[in-house]
Amino acid sequence: MEAENAVFTENLGRIYKIRGAKKNESKQLIALEGVNLSIRKGELFGLLGPNGAGKTTLIKILTTLLAPTSGKANVAGFDVYKEADEIRHHINMVSGGETSGYGLLTVKENLWMFSQFYGIDSKIANQRIKRLLEIVELSDRTNTKCAELSTGLRQKMNIIRGFLTDPEVLFLDEPTLGLDVGASRDVRKFIRTWIEEQPQRTVLLTTHYMVEADELCNRVAIINKGKVLACDTPTALKHTLRKDAIFNIEVNSEAPFSVDSLRKIAGVIRADKTEEDGFSRLEIVLKHESVLSSVIDEFHTLNLRIQNLQKREATLEDVFVALVGARMEEVEHAEFAED
Amino acid sequence: MQTMIGRASPRLIGLYREKSWLIFDVFFPMLTVIGYVMIYKAIGAPEDYVGFVVVGGAMTAFWMNILWSMSSQLYWEKETGNLPLYIASPAPMMGILLGMALGGMVGTFIRATGVILIGSLLFNVTYTIQNGFLLGIIFILSMISLYGLGMMTASLFLLFGREAWHLANLAQEPVFLVSGFYFPLKFLPFWVSAAASIIPLTLGLDGMRQLVFASGATLGFLDPKLEAIILAVLSVFFIVGAKLLLDHTEKLAIREGRITENRR
Amino acid sequence: MSSLTRKDLLSKDFLSIFRRSFKTSTWLGWKIESNWTDPFLFAVYSIIKPLSGAAIIVVMYSVIAQGNYDTPYFAFLYFGNAFFQYVGSVMTGVSWAIVDDREHYKTLKYMYVAPIQMPTYLLGRGMARILVGTLSVFITILGGILFLNVPFHFSEVNWLLFAVTFVLGIIALINMGLILAGVTLMLARHSDFVGDAVASSMFLFTGAIFPITSLPVVLQPIGYALPTTYWLELIRRALIGNVVDAFPTFAGFSNLQLLGILTAFALVLSIVSNRIFKACEHRAREQGLIDRVTNY
Repeated sequence: MEAENAVFTENLGRIYKIRGAKKNESKQLIALEGVNLSIRKGELFGLLGPNGAGKTTLIKILTTLLAPTSGKANVAGFDVYKEADEIRHHINMVSGGETSGYGLLTVKENLWMFSQFYGIDSKIANQRIKRLLEIVELSDRTNTKCAELSTGLRQKMNIIRGFLTDPEVLFLDEPTLGLDVGASRDVRKFIRTWIEEQPQRTVLLTTHYMVEADELCNRVAIINKGKVLACDTPTALKHTLRKDAIFNIEVNSEAPFSVDSLRKIAGVIRADKTEEDGFSRLEIVLKHESVLSSVIDEFHTLNLRIQNLQKREATLEDVFVALVGARMEEVEHAEFAED
Repeated sequence: MQTMIGRASPRLIGLYREKSWLIFDVFFPMLTVIGYVMIYKAIGAPEDYVGFVVVGGAMTAFWMNILWSMSSQLYWEKETGNLPLYIASPAPMMGILLGMALGGMVGTFIRATGVILIGSLLFNVTYTIQNGFLLGIIFILSMISLYGLGMMTASLFLLFGREAWHLANLAQEPVFLVSGFYFPLKFLPFWVSAAASIIPLTLGLDGMRQLVFASGATLGFLDPKLEAIILAVLSVFFIVGAKLLLDHTEKLAIREGRITENRR
Repeated sequence: MSSLTRKDLLSKDFLSIFRRSFKTSTWLGWKIESNWTDPFLFAVYSIIKPLSGAAIIVVMYSVIAQGNYDTPYFAFLYFGNAFFQYVGSVMTGVSWAIVDDREHYKTLKYMYVAPIQMPTYLLGRGMARILVGTLSVFITILGGILFLNVPFHFSEVNWLLFAVTFVLGIIALINMGLILAGVTLMLARHSDFVGDAVASSMFLFTGAIFPITSLPVVLQPIGYALPTTYWLELIRRALIGNVVDAFPTFAGFSNLQLLGILTAFALVLSIVSNRIFKACEHRAREQGLIDRVTNY
């Protein structure tokens, strides 16, 4: 069973002890709780959740940087706690949104050096570096000192570092964080190509971008506050909401209004409002399409004029909201406010 | 002023929370002082030389504070990505730097006092203060010009980029040598001492030693009153220099945008 | 994978992993230490600091002794101070990469994830500093002989004793550096001062600049517990044998006995240091310190 899995966790948990401002005062922060995952070889597996959900903690445990406080985890058939040295032969990782690397070495030197730590023959390493640099359009910077690269380009180099060693299991922690739209698209495309090249390659990717998880991953686990809430293919996850009818409605109104009365209508699961320039955008989730007429009746009471009405398919965002009861952004803001 | 307090407070809070700094900041420099005292004892130097080392050892604290907490500070702020925030804020750069130094200065002062107290008790140093007023003037002028120098070098270090760390590192032992931290300045060749006088602590230390030790006056480099005047000139020079250089750096940062980027 | 094949794999790979960890990290260490400026400035920079340190001591001495350098104490002081530079350059050399990679380059976690031997990596990263340290020790001694008439007679040097002592001492220091690296790994703050702090306290207790018998009796055991004390004594005996007679701290010990003690230190440290480092690593993993950046 475990042998077919690239990653396998059982009841995995991690608690951080945080020293308080006062002496002897310590708080406990539960970063991960009872996580059970099995990621098959060849899978591109996504971990979707807001900032602070525990994604990075999980990656750190799986890449042997952090010890779990409970449960167990296996990567490439080895125990992360007891057989860390063995695991390191089979994995690599990339953290997005940071500027790691040796600034006084050139791009090529940085990459070559890491390939040497993995015992890759210099000639093969140089070929791979050349190819990978071409793919991410960084060839013209091959001999530029890394300190002279912009943050985005530095991150591209960092991403290449991960693929360069051709790991069995590659951990990508928010790989597109901080990249511009075009670069993100290129990176996503490359990840997809890379995993399809060889059936034994596995990628565990964390992200808080819904589209990234939806477009890219074979399976997605939705994680919040250290717990895995759901785990399935993006299609299957969205399918759980198949009975719901989701509408995007743009309305005009003379005076400010509240959506509270809409929420009280029987059969309305959710009603959210965002103010746009000159109109309000409503997102309304109904138990059944037939409830729509009651909603429109309420619009009349509120003196709202419909500009545009559109029914749309469920997204992973909707799945997240259905599971957590709030949008990912709202969860992040709430966390921020707590800090 | 508000800027200063704003930047000083995190450091002071940090100081309060981290008590282990005491060990690092007083105990270890104290060991160096003891080492040098033992050398003097081994060669049978007069008692006042022990006092010279203790006072010199205490003053190293200020030099280290300038080097590591002020001169390299803008450079570190750049490395950690905070620099753009400071440049963008309406607060003047000088206020921010003074704040950093002020926060560090409290710690430095405690460290220097600690070294003097422990050293004096340990080796029974006798002080004979001759002119308390002039002593105070020299100390204050040394501090003003020293921190002026610190602010000036802060922007220089920023422009030097990665070399800043190396420059700060390089400015330790050689400065301890030419500024006479552990022996009377008089024993260096005249032109070396004169050149080293550009570093405020050189004359400050020499002046203070002359005023607190019985044999100090005979081992002094220049007349303490003259030293006070030179220190006053240095204070004006460094503070005006710092203002000009910091303004220049700020402009450069905005115009070229490169300074604010992390270049490691 | 069964435990047998795993073991086989590891023993077969040990040497090749050692080689690649050491080779590549030495390359990296050299680049980092030397690449920030041109070679000439780098050389000047590398020796000016230790030379100034030595000069402070020389001036202090000459102020009191009025330029008479031809005394046993000056030779004791000069050689002790010169070779003590190794303590700093080896120990901080080996442990500094932890701070540098974790705080400045943010690469420590990637090094940890890579299949390398961390102690070997650290040694490699420190090689540049050890080499530069060697250069400055050499120049300090040469300067002393040429310009200060430090009593040194080429023909009276016991080169064999020097070579054996030197190697044993460096082994001991490398392993002490590894322990220091372990401690550094566990410290999130102040970690950049630990190396200097340890070196400066050893300066006092190890008989580098004055015989440890001058220390208060209660503090002397610290000196006897440090391998560097025996190392410096043997280095002096090998290079300036006649001078040591004036300082009878170890008069009761023959060269061979002292070598025995130093060998025992080197051996025990080699075994213990790896275990301590592993234990520290373990704690750092438990507390999540491997990639913690303090922005201090």
